[in-house]
Amino acid sequence: MTYPLPFGELHGVFGWLYELLESTGLPQPWLDVVRYAALGALVFGVISLLALFLVWWERKIAAHIQQRFGPMRHGWHGWYQTVADAVKLLTKEDILVDTRDKFVFFWAPVICFVAAFLAYVTIPFGEGLIVADLNIGILYIMAITTFTIISLLMAGWGSNNKYALLGGIRSAAQLISYEIPMVASILVVVLFVGSMSMVDIVEAQSGWITNWYVFRVPFGPIAFITYIIAATAEANRTPFDIPEAEQELVAGYNIEYSGMKFAMFFLAEFANGFTVSAIAVTLFFGGWHGPFLPSWVWFLLKTLGVVFLLMLFRWTYPRLRVDQLMEFAWKFLVPVTFANLILAAWMKYAGWYW
Amino acid sequence: MTFDELKEYISANYPDDMTLLDTGRCEPFYEVKAEKLVAVCKRLRDDEQLKFDYFCNLGGVDTGERMEAVYSLASYSMKLRLDLKVILPHENAEIDSVQEVWPAANWYERELWELYGVNVKNHNNLTRFLLPDDWDQGFPMRKDWDAPDFIRMPEL
Amino acid sequence: MAELRTEEFTVNMGPHHPSTHGVCRLILTLSGEKVIKIVPVIGYLHRALEKICENRTYAQCIPVMDRFEYVTAMSCEYLFSNAAEKLAEIEVPERAEYLRVIMLELNRIASHLIFYGVTAMDIGALTPFLYGLREREGIIDLFEMTCGQRLTYNYIRIGGVSKDIPPQFEPKCRETIKTIREKLNDYEGLLNENPIWLVRNKGIGVLPADLGIAYGVSGPVLRASGVKYDIRKDDPYSIYDRFDFEIPTRENGDCYDRYLLRLDEIKQSLNIVEQALDALPEGDIKAKVSPNFKPPAGEVYARVENSRGELGVYIQSDGGKKPLRVKMRGGSFNQLQVLPEIGTDCLVADLVAIFASLDIILPEVDR
Repeated sequence: MTYPLPFGELHGVFGWLYELLESTGLPQPWLDVVRYAALGALVFGVISLLALFLVWWERKIAAHIQQRFGPMRHGWHGWYQTVADAVKLLTKEDILVDTRDKFVFFWAPVICFVAAFLAYVTIPFGEGLIVADLNIGILYIMAITTFTIISLLMAGWGSNNKYALLGGIRSAAQLISYEIPMVASILVVVLFVGSMSMVDIVEAQSGWITNWYVFRVPFGPIAFITYIIAATAEANRTPFDIPEAEQELVAGYNIEYSGMKFAMFFLAEFANGFTVSAIAVTLFFGGWHGPFLPSWVWFLLKTLGVVFLLMLFRWTYPRLRVDQLMEFAWKFLVPVTFANLILAAWMKYAGWYW
Repeated sequence: MTFDELKEYISANYPDDMTLLDTGRCEPFYEVKAEKLVAVCKRLRDDEQLKFDYFCNLGGVDTGERMEAVYSLASYSMKLRLDLKVILPHENAEIDSVQEVWPAANWYERELWELYGVNVKNHNNLTRFLLPDDWDQGFPMRKDWDAPDFIRMPEL
Repeated sequence: MAELRTEEFTVNMGPHHPSTHGVCRLILTLSGEKVIKIVPVIGYLHRALEKICENRTYAQCIPVMDRFEYVTAMSCEYLFSNAAEKLAEIEVPERAEYLRVIMLELNRIASHLIFYGVTAMDIGALTPFLYGLREREGIIDLFEMTCGQRLTYNYIRIGGVSKDIPPQFEPKCRETIKTIREKLNDYEGLLNENPIWLVRNKGIGVLPADLGIAYGVSGPVLRASGVKYDIRKDDPYSIYDRFDFEIPTRENGDCYDRYLLRLDEIKQSLNIVEQALDALPEGDIKAKVSPNFKPPAGEVYARVENSRGELGVYIQSDGGKKPLRVKMRGGSFNQLQVLPEIGTDCLVADLVAIFASLDIILPEVDR
């Protein structure tokens, strides 16, 4: 029997669930609705858990870099500390500013949260483990993650707070600037694959490890480095975390948010961090490919590796100033990525690659 | 230049302006008349032998009968120390600002005005800064000041 | 296209702001991100310490002094004791002077380590903060071992020090010095050549030497502008003339130089502590001073070189048990005064860097 969606190695489990669903005798349109709802809930759950894990992991990494222990009290090495934090944030009073712009203030975290999670629709977590293999996969992700900018700007505006406004404007300027080098780096890979589908991109890197785009000298490493720099900026992480630079803007755009709304920003931030890492793995590190272990384990390991890299950046580097950040994007990253793109295009045309 | 040489130099060059006080314990304290203060300070700063270009401190003193303003000066290049004292009446005391000589004096003079009620003339920004903006209970560093209700509860 | 209209706006930076090191409030007029005008507002930490001192005996003033500048409380205690000793002409035993120098220099190192951490944190690197505090912990342990306190020591008293050091102090102190020497390399490796650190600090907040002199700036901030002025050398107090140490200076007077200068000072202070430990004589640790002692009438302005510049105290005595007037002067007071001069026309982020590099702490400003 064939399923509308392939489920890779988790075939058995998902197949059984699907048969269970079919046995209820619902008409086909209803079946589709239920199936996609279930898939959405599944991705949402997995990503929420991952974000919780990442928060804990980041705290542990930060602590160990700083010669501390970090959370230690709740469970083994504090493993459910973030769960407790999340519960606390959920049950916390939602403090609202009277002078806020009610509509904008309310919807900003929602958009941020939804945008962060929508991006996971086209991310291949493993062989066949993808919600929808769109033929414009990577373009879709770029488009969806851009919603984050609007939400941050909305948060900055809606809070009616000068620090928040500064943070919102900073984030808009920063994210739009870094979108360009990021897309230009991604285009290098798309150029060689000839497809924007995430599955196609991963399949193009199958086989030996040298097929990974990060090892396609010279354009591959350059594209990866420029991508990871732009991605750090895109995920608002140090050294590019000026929108929420706590020493300058106290907390930036989310200064007036508390409780659940703050938790949404917070989780969305970590979800974004995971997204950019997942894209990096898909584009440059061969996605789910790897020996012995199941494909989704490989994907997770590689992604967590990239996340670890981002965390190392965060806990090692100071923060750039806002104008230096812009200069770096426009005067260095944009020329380099476009030069790299032209180089890659020329090499592809001339056939000088393997 | 040692302190004795400094004393000799000052008694030779500033005979009318500065009088040595006997209260100083480890450096010379000189009394300066309030009306001559700015002129003397300027001379002390520009004097090639002294170069008192470092304004260390300005402290007001309320002895109960009179007000004193004590200027502690030093010299970055000549490594000298000197204190000037201006004796003022207890009530309605007035003193000239030495800001034009040492910009550093700005905040010290504000403090003198705020805590002792010594009016500083020609000061460019004589506003409260240590006490609350709406402080209306006199000058707290004066000896005759008693706290009427020391802990002021905010009105809720 | 309609003409663009821009407007300046005012931001209250503080009193509760992560990078104003206490409760300083800066009223900023911003044009976009650019700072056009800074008005520092102080007084949020005003505890009327000077008034309190007027109602205490001399011995009781020393714990008050701890609160004056709690990051280097030892210097404040030393300062007041020194001034009172000058007033009453008390001879301090040799061993007490050595112990004082050891404590003063250790406290200077501790303060500079805090500076190292805090300035890095203000520029966005959180990790150095923990590193700085970790090494400071060793020094604080030494203080705790000696006098039982970790922040407000009440150790240096009029006429000497309150307690002799325990026997395990010296080995522990030498070990701490060794650790700090090693870790200083790590610190420098982490930040000194870091390109982000360089662009954030080099050429930012330049304080020309003449401006610093006009505003009475002292200490590391002034030395970073090229003025070689250190009270330990130029107006020696205690027994500093017996030690062999350098006064590091830098030329540019920007944030980066102020940062490097403080790291250099840590090294010099380590040398002083080692020399003092080597030469530590046996003997009394305190001259006989009555707790209610009355110095003769007179006045004195004493000053010491603190980690934030000149720390001075003016004491006037009328011959009674209590001082007639105690006026304290901290280096931060003048450095905050000069902030509007060097901090305008830069970005908010630079202002934070400049504020951190001046190493202002507010209890010293507000008293």
